[in-house]
Amino acid sequence: MPQPTLLAGYFPILVFLGIAAGIAIAMVGGSILAARQKPDAEKLSTYECGFEPFDDTRRRFDVRFYLVAILFIIFDLEVAFLFPWAVSLGEIGWLGFLSMMGFLGVLTVGFIYEWRKGALDWE
Amino acid sequence: MSIGLGHYLTVGAILFVLGVFGIFLNRKNVIVILMSVELILLAVNINLVGFSAALGDLTGQVFAMFILTVAAAEAAIGLAIVVIYFRNKGSIEVDDISTLRG
Amino acid sequence: MIATLAFYAFAAVLIGSAVMVVSSRNPVHSVLFLILAFFNAAALMLIAGAEFLAMILVIVYVGAVAVLFLFVVMMLDIDFVRLREGFQRYAPIGGAVGAVLFVELIFVLGAWRFASDAADLRINPTPGGSVSNTQAIGRILYTDYILLFQLAGLVLLVAMIGAIVLTLRARPGTKRQNIDAQVNRTGSVGLVQVPMGAGLREMGILRPPEPDAPKPIAAPADHGGHH
Repeated sequence: MPQPTLLAGYFPILVFLGIAAGIAIAMVGGSILAARQKPDAEKLSTYECGFEPFDDTRRRFDVRFYLVAILFIIFDLEVAFLFPWAVSLGEIGWLGFLSMMGFLGVLTVGFIYEWRKGALDWE
Repeated sequence: MSIGLGHYLTVGAILFVLGVFGIFLNRKNVIVILMSVELILLAVNINLVGFSAALGDLTGQVFAMFILTVAAAEAAIGLAIVVIYFRNKGSIEVDDISTLRG
Repeated sequence: MIATLAFYAFAAVLIGSAVMVVSSRNPVHSVLFLILAFFNAAALMLIAGAEFLAMILVIVYVGAVAVLFLFVVMMLDIDFVRLREGFQRYAPIGGAVGAVLFVELIFVLGAWRFASDAADLRINPTPGGSVSNTQAIGRILYTDYILLFQLAGLVLLVAMIGAIVLTLRARPGTKRQNIDAQVNRTGSVGLVQVPMGAGLREMGILRPPEPDAPKPIAAPADHGGHH
């Protein structure tokens, strides 16, 4: 299956994950084991600088934030497609170059559309 | 015992079944249904990558890339519809949405 | 050996978090477990050698799609308890369908084998040597699969336009910045010779006369529906 050198290169990340998990488990577990736990309703309630919480944390906010998040996904994927293209541009020739230009052109049409519609403006 | 294709297919199968199960289990909550669909697509991707690695053929990875694209677009549009529906009706229950009929 | 152990660990966490995604009581927890599932799936893909796909999974899914889900869950103040009704009612039928599906998949897993000439039928064999996974994908993605690639661009275009059409509403009564008008504005600043000792107000040059008084912003008629 994969080349062993590839996975060897990722071994430090595995070590890092192991250390992070170990520390996290040690902290939470140590707190559970060592500290005295006497929860009651007052202690478990939300603490908000001494007064009762005014409201639920869930509140509807403007749909514009959501629109920005969607547009971020689209352009995120566009950039994701740019990575292998940039790496292999020397081997795929003009066809590969023009293919990417067509892709970018299509997305630029969308970009111009959203610009003209004012989706990027903040009121 | 080294990792072979069977391992990847098993993980993919379990994930797929969990996704289908999730659709049945949460059939009132559109957001969790969309998440289950994401799980199903993830299972498909794992299958494709498993076959790609086992056969030494890159086609599977290319197709997984396209599935990723379509899944992201699907999630974006699906969630946009959910947001708009919630704004108009104040609910995201699947049973309410069936009133769109006729 | 380490790869084998890592595979089992990541697969176990992946399946556990997938179970939590579908069965969690709070959708926020579902989304967070979905993120964990994506991370572990990325690790599995890495172990299979699909480096690039693993990184894209982390960037696109964890970085964007899962955040979008989290956004929507937080954005809509939904009565989640009511949505949980029928959870028990649908569990048996879901379990039955899932079990049938799983058994079928087990049958499939137990019964297949590669064709004897499968190795010769490969369309794009993985290049060996020092060619990285990303480069190998780049070699075929933009030329051999040019049609699918352009279609992916169109899908993204449709998603972009669809999202804008669905969610963007021009709301009356909000102020926007018109940069063009701002830049082109002239005549608002002038140099005026003022006699010594004369009050600005008497001279009437405190500021140029307003062209016409700005109309008070009308209360939007249909503003009640949004907030």
